[in-house]
Amino acid sequence: MTTVIAFQNLVKRYGKQLAVADLTANVESGKITGFLGPNGAGKSTSLRCLVGLAKPTSGEATIFGKRYQEIENPLSKVGTVLDSRGFHGSLTGAQNLRVMAAAAGIGNDRVDEVLSLVELSDAAGKRVKGYSLGMKQRLSLAGAILGDPEVLILDEPANGLDPAGIAWLRNFLRTLSGSGRTILVSSHQLAEMQNTVDNVLIINKGQLIADGNMKEIIGDGTLEEAFLRMTLGELQ
Amino acid sequence: MNLIKSEWRKLIYARAHWGLLIAATFISTLSVVVTPFIIDSQGELFGFGLDQTEAVDSTYANGISGYIFAIILGIMLMAGEFRHGTAVATFLTAPKRGSVLAAKLAIAAVGGVLIMWVSAGISFLAGYVTLMSFENVASPSENLFLNTMIASTIGGAVLGVIGVALGTLVRNQMLAITGALVYLFVIDPILLTVWPDTGKYLPTGLITAMLAIDVDAPELGFDTSNYLPPLEATGFLLLYGAVFAAVAVATSLRRDID
Repeated sequence: MTTVIAFQNLVKRYGKQLAVADLTANVESGKITGFLGPNGAGKSTSLRCLVGLAKPTSGEATIFGKRYQEIENPLSKVGTVLDSRGFHGSLTGAQNLRVMAAAAGIGNDRVDEVLSLVELSDAAGKRVKGYSLGMKQRLSLAGAILGDPEVLILDEPANGLDPAGIAWLRNFLRTLSGSGRTILVSSHQLAEMQNTVDNVLIINKGQLIADGNMKEIIGDGTLEEAFLRMTLGELQ
Repeated sequence: MNLIKSEWRKLIYARAHWGLLIAATFISTLSVVVTPFIIDSQGELFGFGLDQTEAVDSTYANGISGYIFAIILGIMLMAGEFRHGTAVATFLTAPKRGSVLAAKLAIAAVGGVLIMWVSAGISFLAGYVTLMSFENVASPSENLFLNTMIASTIGGAVLGVIGVALGTLVRNQMLAITGALVYLFVIDPILLTVWPDTGKYLPTGLITAMLAIDVDAPELGFDTSNYLPPLEATGFLLLYGAVFAAVAVATSLRRDID
């Protein structure tokens, strides 16, 4: 397996607070990898360092062996969902995507195509401030696949989704993974992650505490049991 | 060119930006239309009447009153990215921040110029119609309209650039706009009146100097004889734009994007 995403001794400090402490981990190609950890564990900070939005204090995070800023036309290589706030509320869903598409040299036809893929064609002309949280999440996913990337980095994509939305997301990720894409997804929804991901990275207090195949990590139990055992020290 | 196209789409898609154009046009037109009535009724205070060129020049010069909206546009183009959270998508799509800033500065400059051209053009027309309702109105100075359009072009572009820089430094949009308004409407005029030798180097004094109008109304704290020559004022205003653009690029390159 080829390593697509690599965290190498990544450290991120905000003043005296250590958000990520010497994180070293790899993400293999063609797999869905779950990035788990309690609130404040450093998942989002690690992902922000990975995509160049936050500057590491030391160490590095790379995709295809390059820092995100060094990737030529990154939208065509890496699709990212960091939160559902990334869209201008007074613009329509289609307009928001057209702004992104223009910056990446992508035509408006592709915007219509991805809106259809995330089942938002009917709401394409509606202003985003009128979208439900689930619709905003799907719009974020549409933005992430706009450039038909090989890698997807998703931070809590299931946040705010109802059960039908979560089922839709699971199928969506499986379809993307089935076409050979590498997906790194952080989530709190452990039961859902157990059904969705192939590999797991577990982070706590900024440090990696587990890294491996889902079956190796959970053994005969559930992901939730394994997660609680590793993050709290004992099974709750 | 892709980033320019993307920033252009942001400019024209957001309804708030069209609101700024309408507001700038309204303020400029109102200023130009009201001035002849004030001069006509308070001629003694000003020391001149509408039968004198400086009165007519003063009337049309108010056509640049919409300049504040050029700076607000620049602030909204940058600080709006942080207000709406779109900065994340912007810098994920184009992680080379210097290129994004360059495109944003260019579009803010174009947007500032468009605001100034439209608001000044419509207010000139309104001023012309208004002045026709008075008798014995003098003709404006020969180069007034040319000078005003040059001042609108350079002033609009530079103020748009300054707005982007302010939006980069102060990511809170409301705080940045309030600060700009307080500076331009309170601090700048006070400095211009109390310390004219210093004030003439500030943005308002420089833009007025570019109009090359000759107005002496000491009762109103307004005497253009102290102002810089138009070319010198243009140079200083462009220098402001360059310094603020450099500050914007340097600031955006260093800070994390939330």
